[in-house]
Amino acid sequence: MRKNDGDMEIALDVPQPRLRAVPTEPAPPSDSPSDAELLARVGERDREAFELLYGRYVRPVFGLALRRLGDRGHAEDAVQEAFAAIWRSASTYRPERGAAGGWLYTVARNAIVDRLRRNGPTAEAELPELASQERGPAQRAEDSDVAWRVHRALEELQPREREVVELAYWSGMSQSEVAAYLHLPLGTVKTRTRSALARLASMLEGEL
Amino acid sequence: MNREPTLDELIGDDTTGAERQRLQRVHEQLLEAGPPPELTPKLDAGPTLAMSVGKRRRTRPRALLLLAAALAVFVVFFAGYGVGNHRGGKSATTSVMSLALKGTHFAPQAQGALQVWSSRDGSNWPMTLTVAGLSKLPPRNYYEVYLYRDGKILGSCGSFNVAGSSASDTTVTLTSPYPLQRGDAWVVTRPGPGGAEPGQTVLRPVTA
Repeated sequence: MRKNDGDMEIALDVPQPRLRAVPTEPAPPSDSPSDAELLARVGERDREAFELLYGRYVRPVFGLALRRLGDRGHAEDAVQEAFAAIWRSASTYRPERGAAGGWLYTVARNAIVDRLRRNGPTAEAELPELASQERGPAQRAEDSDVAWRVHRALEELQPREREVVELAYWSGMSQSEVAAYLHLPLGTVKTRTRSALARLASMLEGEL
Repeated sequence: MNREPTLDELIGDDTTGAERQRLQRVHEQLLEAGPPPELTPKLDAGPTLAMSVGKRRRTRPRALLLLAAALAVFVVFFAGYGVGNHRGGKSATTSVMSLALKGTHFAPQAQGALQVWSSRDGSNWPMTLTVAGLSKLPPRNYYEVYLYRDGKILGSCGSFNVAGSSASDTTVTLTSPYPLQRGDAWVVTRPGPGGAEPGQTVLRPVTA
């Protein structure tokens, strides 16, 4: 905020539009609050905690909604409804009954199913079969669960690590091409990828 | 994606044993999960006001009340201008800006919506402000709405008060007598200690 004698000033940070993390973004602080802590704060109507939780879960929720609804517009609506439900019912979360991630998954899934029901059979018909046609409901549910946990864990990686993972797995590029793309030595890319996989393993084993 | 990477390609073959199995599991989960979805611009912008409009302890969703209040004010404005405008008039009131407001740490439960309408004379800009979650102030104290530009308070656009419980919604009509500029925003303050102005900011703009 600029200082200018004679002007009335207040301490105000007008928020800027959010951007997807870029490689130069600093690593998230290691003492960042857990999901359970954030949920407890949301239950007390803490909007800052809600925004943090949103940042961590918006992609997993959107991914889940896309898998179930197939349409980005419907999925976007479902995400809004899911987070509205999270805001409303956060105070009912009890840590002793299970992990916060599981609770959030249930609330999000219920909101998505509600949206699916409201959309009726038409929406079902729109569903592209993202999973194999042979996969039954149980297998598809398991797929959704894996995607949820993996996408949630990706949000916890340092941006530099997340970037090499996303490029390695979903860009179609080889490691050499990733290295050239990022202007990094191949060894650095491999080290970073290995480090990212190890961190993901720890997070997924620990059930975020 | 046309190709799936192998773990050997990503991290080499010098990791063995349990660590190798651990990374192999993550590798398979990443392949199974697929890429996280690209967010829509709306979702990328962060949580919306509507998500955090609580329904608890209310017979009707506050979002509907806010919408109804905004609609009612719009109708009043529209009718007023229609009546005040003689035959052949061209002054149909249109919204030129809308702004969602969220509570600061001085009023974390507060939220609001500000609508700026077109000016009939190019000098005065009618505004509709709907707020919720603000507490009743002591006698002879008022909430003040300030135009905020280039990092500082430009001037007052009026004051208001709220009655009753902090849960109720309040809608007021105000006027901004300043020529609007791109990037203009408004904040709501309450008197600071000793009545200092502009006081403590209780509502500020949500991400544009």
